[in-house]
Amino acid sequence: MTPVIETVGLTKRYRRVIALSDCTISVPEGRISALVGPNGAGKITLLRLLAGLAAPTGGRAKVLGGPPREDPAYLAEIGFLAQDIPLYRRLTAEDHIGIGAHLNSRWDGQLVRERLADLKIPLDRRAGTLSGGQCAQLALALTLAKRPRLLLLDEPLAALDPLARRDFLAALAEAAAGGDLTIVLSSHLIADIERTCDHLILLAESRVQLCGDTETLLAEHRVLTGPRKDTTAIARAHTIVREDTTARQTTLLVKLNGPVIDPAWAVEEPNLEEIVLGYMSADQAGHGTGRLSAVGGER
Amino acid sequence: MTWVTWLQYRYQGAIAAALVAVLAVVLLITGLHAAQVWHSALAGCAKSGSCASLNGTLSLGNPAFTTLILATSAVPLLPGLFWGAPAVASELETGTNQFAWTQSITRRHWLAVKAGWLLLGAAVPAGAVSALVTWWSGPDNALTAGAFCATRFDITYIVPVGYAIFAMALGICAGTLLRRTLPALAVTLAGFAALRVLTTWLRPHYMTPVTAYYKVTAAAFTSAGPYLGISQGFIGPNGQTPPSTSTESVYNSMAVPAVCQQANDANSRWPYLSDR
Repeated sequence: MTPVIETVGLTKRYRRVIALSDCTISVPEGRISALVGPNGAGKITLLRLLAGLAAPTGGRAKVLGGPPREDPAYLAEIGFLAQDIPLYRRLTAEDHIGIGAHLNSRWDGQLVRERLADLKIPLDRRAGTLSGGQCAQLALALTLAKRPRLLLLDEPLAALDPLARRDFLAALAEAAAGGDLTIVLSSHLIADIERTCDHLILLAESRVQLCGDTETLLAEHRVLTGPRKDTTAIARAHTIVREDTTARQTTLLVKLNGPVIDPAWAVEEPNLEEIVLGYMSADQAGHGTGRLSAVGGER
Repeated sequence: MTWVTWLQYRYQGAIAAALVAVLAVVLLITGLHAAQVWHSALAGCAKSGSCASLNGTLSLGNPAFTTLILATSAVPLLPGLFWGAPAVASELETGTNQFAWTQSITRRHWLAVKAGWLLLGAAVPAGAVSALVTWWSGPDNALTAGAFCATRFDITYIVPVGYAIFAMALGICAGTLLRRTLPALAVTLAGFAALRVLTTWLRPHYMTPVTAYYKVTAAAFTSAGPYLGISQGFIGPNGQTPPSTSTESVYNSMAVPAVCQQANDANSRWPYLSDR
């Protein structure tokens, strides 16, 4: 199966800063991919490049079979929901449905009306008077009304309370249930999206640290806990992502290259958050950026 | 996109239409009165065979309305200021551009249609107000031959339409480049004021002025058509100019200066820019 998103060495340099560097990722069709990383890691830049809203300064991207570009045919395939969920404050939901109908060749306004009716969001209230959660649901419904094949969401949960987050993610999972919609969802709160996502892209310091299906990532990482001792034997056999040492014990996050033989180590399966935090803090410690880049289950 | 522009600007458009309508009513009432005074005065002086003295003696109505139409010189600025400057800037500020630009149209298309309608939306009210003011000024222009004087020229015929299109284009550009509404507003205001100063300063240099000489003992200067007066003054019989203080007093009192009285063939000089 050809991936929906495939980038090779994608780079975006603004006048002085490098926003995204040598980004090589691959997202298969139907995945809900979590794009995680600290603030300023290049998540927004990657989403904008994929949406065709910005042009890369290096490398190439192939999305839905061609390069992202700003033309009506490509834009029709992409649903993009920006951070802070921008809607026209003075216009009603019905007005927004009208805008979508006028600006899109393929548009399912009825879908928005039905969704809003289910959620009891009034069609004739100005968007500025709706709650944050209602706005998010309206914006998601409007984005889905395009019937996109790829949905790019930039921090859609940031402004929502926990209940609204849960509802939003439920709506997202329902939209993806058909299997032909691929979703990339950026967030720096991995715990929130862990259950919804089945694919992960980790960006840090404008580079890709991890990219792959969550199942694969979980299977190939282990947390090792043992008495404080020399870790060179482990490092020879496996890749140590992160090492925490207290006076008595050492905790390691390792990427496995085979079974762990030494019985001195207690081996546990990490959760996704532990893996993400492990790679993020490894990056902050200033080592491993080159060694760990482009680790993934797909290649 | 046309419909989207309409959706965003319908209330502003209605307010503008209402304001133009109010101005139209005021100008129609006072303008009809002025026209009536002017035509009856013309009929009266035609009988006596001397209409030359009408300028300066005839009043066409309350001078407050002359001030009112002078205030319409700000009309071309308003659409550019209140619709043009926020057109792109407020979308960038609130992030709604990201909604608009990720529908199935390009940014180029989005901007072209929006800017096109806004330019038209600036030209139409400015043109309507200008048409009203042009009609209103008819009798006064005929009386004073003042259609080309700076304060009148700038608010009649197609000139306000040009100013309105300029202000709108400047507002949209400033908002796009500065990405914030308030600075864009300030730039539009300053740019519009600068253009007004510039055109007022440049206009006398468009063509070589015509200089005309009149005897001070003859009747007051009358022009065959509208003109833009650049300067005026007195010269003596041998080309000498009176001291400036006396020129001023002569100008103010319209008395014949002593230096001119000495010779019977003294000339008064009236340079003016002809309309032909």
